[in-house]
Amino acid sequence: MVSDSITNASIHAAPNNNNAARDVGKKKRVRFQFPFPVYDLLLFCTRICIYWLIFSKISRLFGDFQARSAKLKQCKLDVRREQWLSQGAVKNKDCKAEQNGVVEERKDRNNHHPFGNLGMRPGGGESDGSIHHHHHHDSDLDSNSPNSLTSSVLGSNYSETNFTGSSSSSSSSSSGGCCSGNITEDDEGGGDDGCLDDWEAVADALAANEKPKNPCLESPPEHDPIAQSGSPQETTIGSDGPSFGVENSKPQCARTIPKASGNGLAWRPDDAFRPQSLPNLAKQVSLPNSNRKHYGCGGVPWAYSGVVSAPSSCPICYEDLDFTDTSFLPCLCGFRLCLFCHKRILEEDSRCPGCRKPYEHEPVEAEASVHGGSLTFRLPRSCSLITRS
Amino acid sequence: MQASRARLFKEYKEVQREKVADPDIQLVCDDSNIFKWTALIKGPSETPFEGGVFQLAFAVPEQYPLQPPQVRFLTKIFHPNVHFKTGEICLDILKNAWSPAWTLQSVCRAIIALMAHPEPDSPLNCDSGNLLRSGDLRGYYSMARMYTKLAAMPKKG
Repeated sequence: MVSDSITNASIHAAPNNNNAARDVGKKKRVRFQFPFPVYDLLLFCTRICIYWLIFSKISRLFGDFQARSAKLKQCKLDVRREQWLSQGAVKNKDCKAEQNGVVEERKDRNNHHPFGNLGMRPGGGESDGSIHHHHHHDSDLDSNSPNSLTSSVLGSNYSETNFTGSSSSSSSSSSGGCCSGNITEDDEGGGDDGCLDDWEAVADALAANEKPKNPCLESPPEHDPIAQSGSPQETTIGSDGPSFGVENSKPQCARTIPKASGNGLAWRPDDAFRPQSLPNLAKQVSLPNSNRKHYGCGGVPWAYSGVVSAPSSCPICYEDLDFTDTSFLPCLCGFRLCLFCHKRILEEDSRCPGCRKPYEHEPVEAEASVHGGSLTFRLPRSCSLITRS
Repeated sequence: MQASRARLFKEYKEVQREKVADPDIQLVCDDSNIFKWTALIKGPSETPFEGGVFQLAFAVPEQYPLQPPQVRFLTKIFHPNVHFKTGEICLDILKNAWSPAWTLQSVCRAIIALMAHPEPDSPLNCDSGNLLRSGDLRGYYSMARMYTKLAAMPKKG
């Protein structure tokens, strides 16, 4: 587009000078006419896809709030299908055969497994996430895509097995290279998971919502082209991730509040005065359950972290949280605070302000123990290194 | 020290902003010392403290918010968890259950909640606690009501 405008500008400028220059310009234009549309087309496609990626994420967010009307989903689905087809047409030049293989596999998956239909979005998002990884890390499509396939085949629990599959594939494919990307993507899935749990628990209209969810099962395949188009611009995707996670946590924030069952002395469960900004005393009771649930599916810490709201400012010092702080999760209860305050608390009584339980001495270790899936991949390596040396 | 000061300034701003939102609590910072605060809280309805306005004194330590503020009643109050003479408050969140996530505002709310739900099993005011523990709700109510009228309500005439 830019190049096009440049040529146009040269042509517009040319008539002012003389005819000869104009002819030259025309010739130039004729000469370069052929390659430009191709570039334009590519640029246009990639841009549309990037815009769509942003749009889809935002609209997905709003979809959570707006009871997920089926019509909207259908419209989005159509748009996605179009996008996908157009993208496929471009990409066919590069990897026609591979794409087709993947698509067929996915279709198989959708057809064969009924729980794919029940299929919750996180499952789709996760399998999508794993495919993201394939393209990001340029690892073999063939080696990894069966992995996600088998995971969904084996799983009687759709979302959970997909989680494990993707977490294992992500940790295997990324050897600590770009952790942030993995975390954000998985975060997104986990957030949705928590969201769904939440909506299942709270909303009576879930039965009605089940139907609108059905279109979601086709969304994972159509995510893929976006990932491909986005892959040259990993930075934009990476920066998208955390903000998305933050926004995503809003419904969960609203969820944890009504759960308050005052086991503290100060507040009764039915107390209308209880400030919502207070550390939720009920967390002590409610969170271990969710812990167990997530551990049961193979240790998905980011799913857990997605459940807990990510405040924009540190609740202790009220300073804004930067990116490192928002990704810092020192306690299993999910209470976030800035690194500075965390250090101060460690020096003092070393108890989490959220649940008042003592902090682990090494938050990194705590996280490592939580990252059950990836730990199993990392430990053997280190062990083998030790034995060698 | 710097951190506590910054945090208190932030809280001060927050209080200014939320003044309308919570009409039961009026938190005022001392003009010269940000570590000294006073609060006026209204007695919760359907309690013997209804209609009374109680004054609280906050002494914020320099380690705040890692350490809880020291709060006491300046207004006389007949409550099992408030020392009748000193105004000292027996509240778990002001002692071992303190969390840095609490604010002065939330402490005020906690104290209002404590007024509505006394804990006679850990009394600072034994008379009041004994009345409640013996089930003499009427006696407790009338005593608390009397002291509310005497100390916490504007004098008539």
